[in-house]
Amino acid sequence: MGHLIGKQYQLDHLIEVAKNIVLAIHKAPQITGKTQVEAEIVWGEDLEPIIEVMGPLAKVMRYIMWDYETIKNCYDKGESPVIINIGAKVSKSNLNWNCGACGFDTCKEFNAYSKENAGGGQLGGPSCNWKILDWAIACDWACAAAWQYRVDNRIMGSVGFALTVLDYLPGMDVRLGLALGPPRDMVYYNREEMHKSMSYELDKQDMVNCVPTMFTAFPGGGTPMYKTKDDWWAPPEFMGIGYSPAVMEVMQQILFEEVPELVVKNAARVAARYKKQEK
Amino acid sequence: MKKYVEDLDFRGEEFVGEWTPWSPPDIRRKKCVLEAARVILNSVFTAPFAGGVPSIEAHIVYGQDELEALARKVEEIAHTQESWREALLYEAVMVRDSDVILFIGNIRCHETALDAGCGLCGGTLDCGYFYDQKTHRYGLVDITDRSSKRMINGPLCTARVGDLGYAVGSALWTAHTLMVDARPFASIGMAGQQLGYCRNSGMVVAVPLASKAKNPYVDVNVDYHLINMDKVLDNTRKIYNTARIIRGFDYRKWVPKPKKQEGEGE
Repeated sequence: MGHLIGKQYQLDHLIEVAKNIVLAIHKAPQITGKTQVEAEIVWGEDLEPIIEVMGPLAKVMRYIMWDYETIKNCYDKGESPVIINIGAKVSKSNLNWNCGACGFDTCKEFNAYSKENAGGGQLGGPSCNWKILDWAIACDWACAAAWQYRVDNRIMGSVGFALTVLDYLPGMDVRLGLALGPPRDMVYYNREEMHKSMSYELDKQDMVNCVPTMFTAFPGGGTPMYKTKDDWWAPPEFMGIGYSPAVMEVMQQILFEEVPELVVKNAARVAARYKKQEK
Repeated sequence: MKKYVEDLDFRGEEFVGEWTPWSPPDIRRKKCVLEAARVILNSVFTAPFAGGVPSIEAHIVYGQDELEALARKVEEIAHTQESWREALLYEAVMVRDSDVILFIGNIRCHETALDAGCGLCGGTLDCGYFYDQKTHRYGLVDITDRSSKRMINGPLCTARVGDLGYAVGSALWTAHTLMVDARPFASIGMAGQQLGYCRNSGMVVAVPLASKAKNPYVDVNVDYHLINMDKVLDNTRKIYNTARIIRGFDYRKWVPKPKKQEGEGE
């Protein structure tokens, strides 16, 4: 006999589901058969460094803001998502296929370039494209397995960015995070957690910035007006393109000051987990 | 309610089998795989892609001549460099043993990059690694010169290549769910691309499909290009006829019988 009710047993079971998904990640077929893929499961307080680093990044990158607020709000409400971090070693080719997909004639030349330029991107890189395919197949199998268990989920580059700077899954060259749950409908699609955070004006301004052709008036004059208000002709508004010191300054400050500070703050905590594993 | 003629005559039978190859029962079996391939395409196109951007195209290929041409192209590529030779020759056999080949390509990885500065291609915080090696004007890549001394005309937008991996992963997942044997192949993908399948793509992966007693894509023997089912059967054809000829007799008049042992009856 027994009785299960409430949030805790659901979280406990979500963790069990995550373990099953990790099996799918490792079972995923590979093209090369030579790509090392690793996965780990984090939830609860172990999400804190990830959420913390995503915070400042969210200020300059909308796609990170979207994920940051969703994960943080769930966590703050006591409904921690469970995140599967999926990494792979892709920066060195041991294939000797010399296919050219990376931009070099030979794998040897790519390896030499990669050795000198490793890990500078948001998500890592440089990469052997065939190994990226293997890793992506594994990530896709993780998503498919999650759907099979009817758990709301989303594979996230935003989390991958945080994992990269914090050095989760040390030794891996690329990382993504698969957020699972909390167990209810529509956590990561039609996001309820975002209902209060976006104003109409901000949403509309995003559209003007991102899809300007939707707002372009008659282009025949060569300098079209932009229809950003009901009486868009009085007075008319025009689009300008130029370097933005303000945007770049904020970006620099966040990427090279705020984020590194948080990385240093959390470094010992993150590293300790892997040291524990080594023992 | 409209009544369809075929509904009024809903009856029939379909005899399905694996033997002999390319016989009507075998072709009916292959059609089951073809139906599976079409179902698999649904998951190819609904795989999770960066930014929800459509960037995938697919090509379903089947038929004896089509598969033979593909296998020969894989063999041609096999002989272009030592590191490919043995594996690709084995994989050409797998093409001939397949029922249907599914090609999946990414139409954006060589032309319309994600432009997110993810760094996956060159390890930097911008997309310069990709664009610096492409012919382009203000970020619009000119792909009209399709000649390349390389098998794949890189560099590619690796984030888009990742999207291709998701599409391939979903194809494999659905194939496994449908109990159809499948594996992802670089060699067959490159051969297919050279033959013009998924013609808009910068990178193509092949997922051959089969529903046979023995999965064609695993458990191969050494020198598989020389010793495989087709070769074994042909070898039998080569040997057996001669074995008959050298001991001919008129079976209507006399057939040799085993010698009777002592104690056996009349």
